[in-house]
Amino acid sequence: MNYPVWEVPFIGSQLVIAIIAIFHVLVSHFAVGGGFYLPMAEMLARKRGDRAWREVVKKHSKFFLVFTAVFGTITGVGIWFSIGLANPEATSTLIHYFVFGWAMEWVIFLIELTTIAVYYYTWDRIPDGLHIKVGWAYAIASWLTLVVINGILTFMLTPGDTWVGVVGSGKETHVFWNAFFNPTYWPSLVIRTLFCLCIAGCFALVTASRIDGDKQPQLKADIIRWSVRWLIPMFVLLPFAGAWYVWQVPAVQRHILELGFSTIGPGAFTIVTRMGLMFVLSFATLLAIVYLLAYRNPRDFKLGSAIVIILLMQAAIASTEMTREMLRKPFVIARHMFSNGVRLSQVAGYNAHGYLARSPWVAAADQRAWAALDAAGPAATNAPDYQAQMFIRGQLMFRGQCLACHTLDGYRSMRGFLAGRDHQGVGSILTMLHDYKADSLYHAFMPPLVGTPGEIAALNLYLDSLVAPPAAEKK
Amino acid sequence: MPDLKKIGTALYAWVNERLDLEPMLKHARAKTVPVHKHTFWYYWGGISLCLFVVQVVTGILLMIYYRPGPDAYASVREITYEVHFGWLIRSLHAWAANLMVAAIFVHMFSVFFMKAYQKPREFGWWTGLALLGLCMVFGFSGYLLPMDELSFFATKVGLSIPGVIPGAEPVIAALVRAGPEVNEFTVQRFFALHVVVLPLLFIPLLAFHLFLIQKHGNALPPSERLKPEAARKSIPFFPNFALKDLAVWLIVINVLALLAAFFPWQLGPQADLLKPAPIGIHPEWYFMSQFELLKVIGRVLTGVAGELAGIGLFTVGMVLWALIPFYDTETGGGRRARRATYFGLFVLLAMAALTIYGYFDLK
Repeated sequence: MNYPVWEVPFIGSQLVIAIIAIFHVLVSHFAVGGGFYLPMAEMLARKRGDRAWREVVKKHSKFFLVFTAVFGTITGVGIWFSIGLANPEATSTLIHYFVFGWAMEWVIFLIELTTIAVYYYTWDRIPDGLHIKVGWAYAIASWLTLVVINGILTFMLTPGDTWVGVVGSGKETHVFWNAFFNPTYWPSLVIRTLFCLCIAGCFALVTASRIDGDKQPQLKADIIRWSVRWLIPMFVLLPFAGAWYVWQVPAVQRHILELGFSTIGPGAFTIVTRMGLMFVLSFATLLAIVYLLAYRNPRDFKLGSAIVIILLMQAAIASTEMTREMLRKPFVIARHMFSNGVRLSQVAGYNAHGYLARSPWVAAADQRAWAALDAAGPAATNAPDYQAQMFIRGQLMFRGQCLACHTLDGYRSMRGFLAGRDHQGVGSILTMLHDYKADSLYHAFMPPLVGTPGEIAALNLYLDSLVAPPAAEKK
Repeated sequence: MPDLKKIGTALYAWVNERLDLEPMLKHARAKTVPVHKHTFWYYWGGISLCLFVVQVVTGILLMIYYRPGPDAYASVREITYEVHFGWLIRSLHAWAANLMVAAIFVHMFSVFFMKAYQKPREFGWWTGLALLGLCMVFGFSGYLLPMDELSFFATKVGLSIPGVIPGAEPVIAALVRAGPEVNEFTVQRFFALHVVVLPLLFIPLLAFHLFLIQKHGNALPPSERLKPEAARKSIPFFPNFALKDLAVWLIVINVLALLAAFFPWQLGPQADLLKPAPIGIHPEWYFMSQFELLKVIGRVLTGVAGELAGIGLFTVGMVLWALIPFYDTETGGGRRARRATYFGLFVLLAMAALTIYGYFDLK
């Protein structure tokens, strides 16, 4: 517990990240896929000698520049800001162990931003051939940002045996490339590249829908039909790439996908299955919808239909990303750090010496008072400030170990989960989480509860107060 | 590689020789759908139909595990929390039911404001209203089937409302409830109604409604009727509109799946016949405006008189709504046409306001 806790009422800090990330993923993948779409479309226009087509590409590049550079950059910074607050331990770990990776990413990102600006502002100012080359430079830079970030994202799910073998030894950066090219790296890169191409095709339909079908029917039909073809690689290859990816995920993590096969019981982490199903359905139907709305009737294709396609695409991408994120549970970095920032290697130490023992957020006087209560044993309950001290201690335990994923009353509500349980009922859940036996219901998706018996008793009392608040709070 | 096109053509020729499909296809190709700024509303009938198909398929699957009678709650619990993907089928069924009623309401109001009830489409209007009525009975009967606390007490309250009509209570007790209180036999009767009686009424009526749409085609809204024929645009029903309709169906299925994924249909605590009704018991949203109307009138006119006045007012409103084709017959617009539109707006706003107010008025 080295960092302060970011408490976001009702929606929780994880949902803040998710909301920003869902939009960022769509925009950033469009930035990559669109990077290939623009020079290829421009090349085709040049080959056909079609000035009208070229004008549409130029118009599309303006939309592309504004949308990706502005919205993508803002949401990208938003992600950094929110993960730094919500998961500071994990963010710090990723920064420290991937210094070289981040350096590469930011250099390439600068090239990416520069080339897209040059590409847009040099329309009709430099020779067409050179302009297309600038477009290709942007495409390559843009794809390389994906190549780099993909290594860090996949590392969080499958860090690989080599990295896990040296973690904590101070030699983590020596095995940088092992961690980078981890087991899910290649299938993930293929899947993301397919997404990028698919999103590029879908967004091109937005621009194409604005062409007047009565005045330029052939142009509209040609561009729409050509853009729809960008979805085909994803439709054909995604089932294979998806199977490859799932195959590379460790069985223990893969098992999480099955949690919701037969139930929707609250607290059983079944949402991951539902998101997985949504991902399959939305991608399975996307191409058919695009074919029926756009390819079959290009002349009548309207902006409203294009927006529906984008929303569906967003649903597909969001469910995919949510499934992938949730597969990591109970870890934020698999086999190393739990989702509440507790490292696997710290569990025994926290259990022996206390979770709050060395926290910079606890006053020394409180530490002494709690130590005295622990030393007094059962007689401590007679102390005049016992309840007040235990409440503060329990609240800190709650903030440190629960708030990373739960809220009091909203998303993953603690009050909701604990409703109807008495002191013993809450206590038995805490014992189950603390013992962390392999056959426990929660073992698959909840981190272990760490701390001394005194700290766990304090948490128990604090959680009791959430289920049945003291009379003064009830009003 | 076999020539798939050749095989398809040969197969079609074989079927066509026996079933004579050509005239049907010729009719479908000749049929057109008007294209104008209100074309969007033409899709709502199809959306309702799509959701009905989902209802039929998921309903059949639910029947595999559902046990009406004393085991009703246990079987729904099993479906929701034990059977592989039982929760999915149940959630799809429940969400599709709600969306279907919503889609039919949208369809009804769009037909009303486009004045698609005028000659020669009166029967389309009446069959549509009858289908909506049957859908609401589908909803009411299906709501009780899990026999959880909310469904039990909501049904109890729902059945007590018509009971105030003189002479109605003994009939309801004997025919519907199977006793003085809602009980396991009520569930059995509601189940029979839900899966046998209502489909027997609904499907032929739906077929007749679809036949009427094929016969009369899509109605033009008043603003389009004023345009000269040459200025009107249209697209062939087959394949253009039909394929767009199919795309809309796929979108609807995605929306349905999203709702089932994010908000799966949970099961409340088991109904306890001896317990008092919990606070906040309310009917499904599509009965809320009627329920609230009764409550509001009951505050002015207390007792049975208030309930009878509420039922009477509601019945008069329904009759006027159904008979609108006889009142608004002027195809070219005019005072009666405007009044009919105002009446539609009033009904729409009153229903929306009473429904929203009903949820605030639950405490």
